[in-house]
Amino acid sequence: MPRSLWSGSLSFGLVNVPVVMVTAVRDIDLHFRQLHEKDGAPIEVQRFCSEEDVEVPWDEITRAYELQDGGQVIVTDAELEAIEPRRTRTIEIESFVSLDEVDPIYYDHPYYLLPAGSDDGSARAYRLLVEVMARTNRAALGRFVMRAKEYLAIVRAHDRALMLSTMLFADEIRPSNDIDAATQKSHKPSAQQLKAAVAVIEELSGDWEPNEWKDRYRRRLQDVVSRKRKGKTIKAPEPRDTTPEESPDLMAALERTLAELRN
Amino acid sequence: MPRSIWNGRITFGLIAVPIRVHSATESHTIHFHQVHAQDGSRIRQKRICSKEGKEVPYEEVAMGYELRGGEYVLLQKDEIGAAAGDRSHTIGLEQFVEAEQVDPVFYNRTYYLGAGEGGEDAYRLLLDALRRARRTGLGRWVFHNREYLAAVRAGDDVLVLHTMRFAGELVGVEKLDIRAPSRKPTGRELEMAEQLVDSLHKKFRPGAFKDTYRDRVADLIKRKANGEEIELPEYDEPEAPDDLMSALEASLAKSGKRRS
Repeated sequence: MPRSLWSGSLSFGLVNVPVVMVTAVRDIDLHFRQLHEKDGAPIEVQRFCSEEDVEVPWDEITRAYELQDGGQVIVTDAELEAIEPRRTRTIEIESFVSLDEVDPIYYDHPYYLLPAGSDDGSARAYRLLVEVMARTNRAALGRFVMRAKEYLAIVRAHDRALMLSTMLFADEIRPSNDIDAATQKSHKPSAQQLKAAVAVIEELSGDWEPNEWKDRYRRRLQDVVSRKRKGKTIKAPEPRDTTPEESPDLMAALERTLAELRN
Repeated sequence: MPRSIWNGRITFGLIAVPIRVHSATESHTIHFHQVHAQDGSRIRQKRICSKEGKEVPYEEVAMGYELRGGEYVLLQKDEIGAAAGDRSHTIGLEQFVEAEQVDPVFYNRTYYLGAGEGGEDAYRLLLDALRRARRTGLGRWVFHNREYLAAVRAGDDVLVLHTMRFAGELVGVEKLDIRAPSRKPTGRELEMAEQLVDSLHKKFRPGAFKDTYRDRVADLIKRKANGEEIELPEYDEPEAPDDLMSALEASLAKSGKRRS
């Protein structure tokens, strides 16, 4: 089971559910270590004091904020926790929302919340929350603090578990009104073009089957590693250009596409 | 117009849509750097060769994939880049799905798409058609030497691209150790919990949540810069209720009072 990244409680009215948080995403990337090319020896990253030029052990490292005048303020973990002692240990449910109202742009990292402790009370309160959220298709919104950062979080039922996703705050989403989205009237497609484009989309439609989308990059990378291991030369393939040029005549391109798809 | 981070095109069928990719998100977290507690000097990271004990300049760094027993396959950075995939700067939409079928857990990062030069009509056609068909397009996107699964959908008046997580990256519920309670929730408990959910139900208004912690960190920094002492308060852990039913009742009574 993945290790706990945060522990505290989820509070729902006056009901507190002690929970631990674990990641819902496994890191299956191929990891590389930096090597010194000359002798093939692994490179170690060491932390040095810029003043004394000696290596500094972890327990002598603290964090500082640089002020505009060039000075700095040292801030300790305990002080950061003291800012929000409650939110550092509690996710307080502030409201429930309908899941389908939440734009996917807000979702950040997914985690699971699991019941902590060994008493029956917390396991029961946990199960109750899972069931009530699954039944109502609602998700809970709350805030909590983890690693010196406050997160907006959405908690929902996922199978028999509570899934928490950290969310972006609204001011972390950039406005889109300065993006050229061809909104001028002159770019509006004709009814005929729109109908044909929708028909193309429908011809290419299917069910969302996440397992059918494989991580091809990871496979190619594995392949590069094993070829290199056998002493082969690695070269990037030449780009193949089989894609259509920008068609000046959209309607003709749509019609040809439909004819091909329906054939 | 904001700077684009990638230019290329989206294709569906034989239709090509020139696009520009822009970031849709930005972090406002207050950043600290690491300092040596004793003298407050900045910490600098050095790459040290484990054999020579000397610092290694970046040009001499290669990448190693570890085999069993501390042996490495040595690769140059461009050899790793060779795995990136199609370099034709094209995102071919291979399939379209109903947006509601996609669980939010799959969405990773978000980008805005703008119309590329001369491609405004095609851009608008794709935007309007995706909205009309209520579908999301799926394809592969090669960005920064890596291939992503990408979902393209109609946002509010702009095309939005999400990089997606692969199914194999997600931890299944069966991998988790979820303690089962001695008994299921009773009908009455569920009913009361549902009332409590209803009483707290609101429309999703993301702008209503401000990152107040960020402001308070800024305030803490200011107070410390002025030489103030920071007091560390005590905090008691809340406990799980012994009596779930009475905690639910008390919560409902409280939320009823707050509303009336």
